[in-house]
Amino acid sequence: MALLEFQCRHRFAGGFELDLAFESDQHFTALFGPSGSGKTTILHVIAGLLRPQAGVVRLSGRALLETHARLCRPPEQRNIGFVFQDALLFPHLTVEGNLRYGIARAEKKPRRVEFSRVVEVLEIGPLLKRTPHNLSGGEKQRVALGRALLRNPQLLVMDEPLAALDDSLRARILSYLESAVAEWQVPVLYVTHSQAEVRRAARWVIVVSSGRLVGAGTPDEALTQPVPLAWTNSTGPVNLLRIDRLDMAEDRCVAHIGGKAIIVSAGGPQPQAASFIQFRPADVMLSRGDVCGVSARNHLQGQVCRILTLESSVFVAIDIGQILWAEITQQALTELQLAVGCQVTCLLKAHSVGLA
Amino acid sequence: MLTIEEWTALRLSLQVAACAALAAMPFAIAAGYALARWQFPGKWLAETTLHLPLVLPPVVVGFVLLTLLAPHGPLGAVLLRCLGVKLVFTWVAAAIAAAVMSFPLAVRAMRLAFQAVDPRLEMAARSLGATPWRAFFTVSLPLARRGVIAGTILAFARSLGEFGATIMVAGNIEGQTRTLPLAIYSFADRPDGASAVWRLVAISILLACAALAVSEWMERRANDGAP
Repeated sequence: MALLEFQCRHRFAGGFELDLAFESDQHFTALFGPSGSGKTTILHVIAGLLRPQAGVVRLSGRALLETHARLCRPPEQRNIGFVFQDALLFPHLTVEGNLRYGIARAEKKPRRVEFSRVVEVLEIGPLLKRTPHNLSGGEKQRVALGRALLRNPQLLVMDEPLAALDDSLRARILSYLESAVAEWQVPVLYVTHSQAEVRRAARWVIVVSSGRLVGAGTPDEALTQPVPLAWTNSTGPVNLLRIDRLDMAEDRCVAHIGGKAIIVSAGGPQPQAASFIQFRPADVMLSRGDVCGVSARNHLQGQVCRILTLESSVFVAIDIGQILWAEITQQALTELQLAVGCQVTCLLKAHSVGLA
Repeated sequence: MLTIEEWTALRLSLQVAACAALAAMPFAIAAGYALARWQFPGKWLAETTLHLPLVLPPVVVGFVLLTLLAPHGPLGAVLLRCLGVKLVFTWVAAAIAAAVMSFPLAVRAMRLAFQAVDPRLEMAARSLGATPWRAFFTVSLPLARRGVIAGTILAFARSLGEFGATIMVAGNIEGQTRTLPLAIYSFADRPDGASAVWRLVAISILLACAALAVSEWMERRANDGAP
């Protein structure tokens, strides 16, 4: 029995049609796809905010929607926490009023999520007496997350909650989210069109495009699939690798990834808190043989697992334990005679690698 | 200052207008909300019917009400049989006439107020476990409250001046249905009534100005998004 079963067919008056089915068992599932691909509609169907023409939604086996059986539970009976893209805090209530809105109506059963603990984990204590229009974007999203958690939900669905925030804030809110998920074990379905967010947080990815399911898998599998991903935003793929541990020495910083050591330019506000390294695909050099006498500090051996052409550039995915993307020219591809399955060495300057 | 007759007219006017505005408020809220939020077949017809009192001659509205509420009329007969009450030519009939005439104004203000509230806030409330009623009373209504109050005050002000429909259903009975406008009309007919007319006119202008000012102030604060 899957945690979440979803099937839906719905045609909007404007002609857009959503027709897909998926299941998810993972606690952190990302719903990934370009803008306008139907991701938000999927969340609305799951939460009961939209009744599709045909569909099934089951959560841990409990039917929330079965149009063939004429069953459609209203949102208040679904016990699904919803975090909207723009937070949607109630402007006439204080932060505390917003947080407590769902508590009174949460189902009467042993509480997993305690008010004081939410305030502590999300660090919203100082905001409690303020009104929403005095909050920054990141603070609003934290309050919205807390408000949804306090409903004691069986599933938390989040609709691009970080889209309106800048990069550094995004990473901070994501880590709040990660600690919340770890603390209360709430399964999350997370809508995004950001590869960095998928790579960072998700354990399972469902890829949609134009209302259809394109694929599903782990982030590494899904993000190397040929069709939609590199194209979903014009920037191409991103490199964000999860690190096992970070060693700080006086003059250098070493990130360990599955037995490989990567020298990183130390810096940034809190290097110890980092759990990822990031670098641009264009900063990766590829070589077919061993190289010596170069200044680049990091030499990573791996196997080419996919080659994508995007406009004038070629993106090569290399499996070094995790997937890493290199951006090279068409000419380089021909000269090196790269093909899927080739062994290559990736050269990466320490100064190109940052922590995230 | 004022004679007893004038005081009575003023008191009666305030009573009729206040009852009309308050009684119409829940219906105006429902209509304003429905028009702001819902799409339904025949919506244009509902809107047209709602706006009719604005453009029809008040006497026509009064005549329709009289026909409905008269002891032999479809509604009046039921009321007489079930509750034993006769409405026509009482102050209650005057209040009903005023409520009907001011209804479009109240609905308009409330519709605008509900249109200014993000409908997704109700979705958020539903996802937090609120029933549709609960979501309405804890989110949409509090957020639209300034518009709702402004609309009610506007209806009150309009009711103070109601004449044509009132005289049809409630008549012009001194001490019972003679409101300010009817009193002015009656005094103007009397050779010695000029000074009374001026006093009542001044009171009417004052009341109308005060009501409009409060209503305007409310709506402006609503538009500024003050909490």
